[in-house]
Amino acid sequence: MPIYVGGASLLAVLFNRAISGIAPVADASSSQSRADLLTLGLAVTNVLTGLVWLSIRPKSITPVEPQGVECQEIYSHLPESVVSEILWVWESLSAVTCCKSLVIVYDCQCIVQIGVAAKSLNIDEPFAVDAAKLMQGSLYQGVLKSGAQSYMANLSLYPGRSELPFLPSNTQAVILQPLGDRGIAVLGGDTIRGFTTSDQTWISYIGEKLDATLAKYMSSMPSVVQE
Amino acid sequence: MTILTTKTQLLNPLIQLKTPLPLKFRPKMASISARLDNSQQQMNLSVLRFTLGIPGLDESYLPRWIGYGFGSLLILNHLLGSDSVSAAQLRTEALGLSLAAFSITLPYLGKFLKGAAPLDQTTLPEGAEQIFVMSENVSVAQKEALAWATYVLLRNTNTTSVLILTQGELCIRGYWNLPDGVSKDNVLDWFKSNIEETGLSDLRDTLYFPQTADAEFWNILPQGTRSVLVQPVLLSPNPSMNYMGNIEGFFLLASSMRYAYNEKDRAWIRAVSNKLRSKN
Repeated sequence: MPIYVGGASLLAVLFNRAISGIAPVADASSSQSRADLLTLGLAVTNVLTGLVWLSIRPKSITPVEPQGVECQEIYSHLPESVVSEILWVWESLSAVTCCKSLVIVYDCQCIVQIGVAAKSLNIDEPFAVDAAKLMQGSLYQGVLKSGAQSYMANLSLYPGRSELPFLPSNTQAVILQPLGDRGIAVLGGDTIRGFTTSDQTWISYIGEKLDATLAKYMSSMPSVVQE
Repeated sequence: MTILTTKTQLLNPLIQLKTPLPLKFRPKMASISARLDNSQQQMNLSVLRFTLGIPGLDESYLPRWIGYGFGSLLILNHLLGSDSVSAAQLRTEALGLSLAAFSITLPYLGKFLKGAAPLDQTTLPEGAEQIFVMSENVSVAQKEALAWATYVLLRNTNTTSVLILTQGELCIRGYWNLPDGVSKDNVLDWFKSNIEETGLSDLRDTLYFPQTADAEFWNILPQGTRSVLVQPVLLSPNPSMNYMGNIEGFFLLASSMRYAYNEKDRAWIRAVSNKLRSKN
C-alpha cells in the first residue's frame, strides 16, 4: 500500500516541477529544488517500505479439496474417555487447522482413521492402513529416532510419499507427530505450508497428551490379536 | 568500491560488505525465537529481511524517523528560503509534509500486517506471584484435564495468568496479584467471591479486550495486564444453535502484551475450552 502512495507522490513532484516552468536541474540552489528533493526522498522511502511489507506478507495459497472417501474408524476396544478425547482432537484439528485426514498408529495397530482417506483400489471403501508396513518404513523410523515432529510442507517434493498410501493422493502437507516412542499420528492438510508454527506447537502438545492417555489405557488392556 | 578485510572474512560467517552509499539494502538472516519462555525447546525461525546491517537498530521504525527528519528539514527550508515563495514550492511542501506524516504512521500500520512478528515480548507483571491452585472436590480425570489445559495455555499463548471456572470448580495458574491479607487457604474463596461479583459466569459470548479497558473485573487481574480474553465453555457442540443449553463456565486469560491473541490463538483456545465440556 505505501508503494502506491510513494509512487503517486513521486510522479506528482515531477509533474509539479514540470508545469511550473522550472528547468529540470537537480541542484540544491533554490529552495524549490531543496523542497523537491526532500519530498522525493520521502516518496522513495515509502516505496521501499512498501516493498519490505510485500516481502513480509505471506502469499495466499488456495486449498486443494482432497480426493477420497470420508471415513471415521476408531478401534473399537478403546474405553469411552479415550474415544471422546480422540474425537475432541479431531474436532479441534479440523476446525482450527487445515487438517483433513488423521491417522493414529499406536503399538503396531491402527487406532484411528478419520477424515478423508484414499479410496482402496476399486471399491468405494477407505484404504486400510497397514500399520506394520508403516512402522517399518523410513518415515516412521526417522521420526522415532529424532523424537520430534516432522513437517512436510509440500508433500509432492518428498519421496517418502509412497509410504503413506492411505492419504488422499492430492494431500498437500503432512505432519508426522510421534506419540512417545510407541506410536505416530499422521495429519494430512489441504494447503501447501498450511500448518503454521503455532499449529505445529499445539499439535506437539496434543501429541504428548494423546500419548499419555493411550499409554495408560493400552497398558491396562489384554493383548489383542492382530488381524 | 567495497572494503573487505580478510580478517572479517575469516571471523564472520556473515560477510558484511561496507559500501560508501548509506542506503544499501542487503538481505540478512535474522533469527526470531518463538514466544516460549523458560522452555527447553525453542523454535528458531530464520526470516529473510532487508536490513541496513546496523546491530541494535530496529528497521521497522525507520520510516518514522525519516518522516520526522525530512519533515523538519522541509519546514526549515520554508522558513529560511527566499522572500518570494512560489505556489509551486508551496504545493511541493504540502505534498512533502503529508508524505512525512504518512511515513510517521507507517510503523504503527505495519503492526497489523498478516506476517508481522510481535514487536514486544511478554513482560512479567510486577509484584505478582506465581500460583497454582485448584478446587478440592474435582475428580482425578478432571484434575488432569484442568492441569493440562492451564499448562498448555500458559506455554503456547502469550498468557501470563489463567483462571478456569467449570462446573463450579476453580483452577488458577500463573502470575496473580494476591492482596496481603489472603493466606494460602483463603485464596480460592477470595477468587470465588470476586468472580461472583463480576457476573462472568453467565457469559455466553467470547470477550476479547486487546487493550486495557475499563471493565469491572479488572481489579482481580494482576497489575500490568494489557489484554484479556474470556472464553465461555459451551455445552452444545453445535455452534449454529441459537440458544445454548447450559453454560458450564469460562476461561479467563490475561496477558501483559497488547493484542496478545490473534485469530489462530483464539480458535485454539476455543478448542481447548471444548475439551473441558462434560460428556452428556
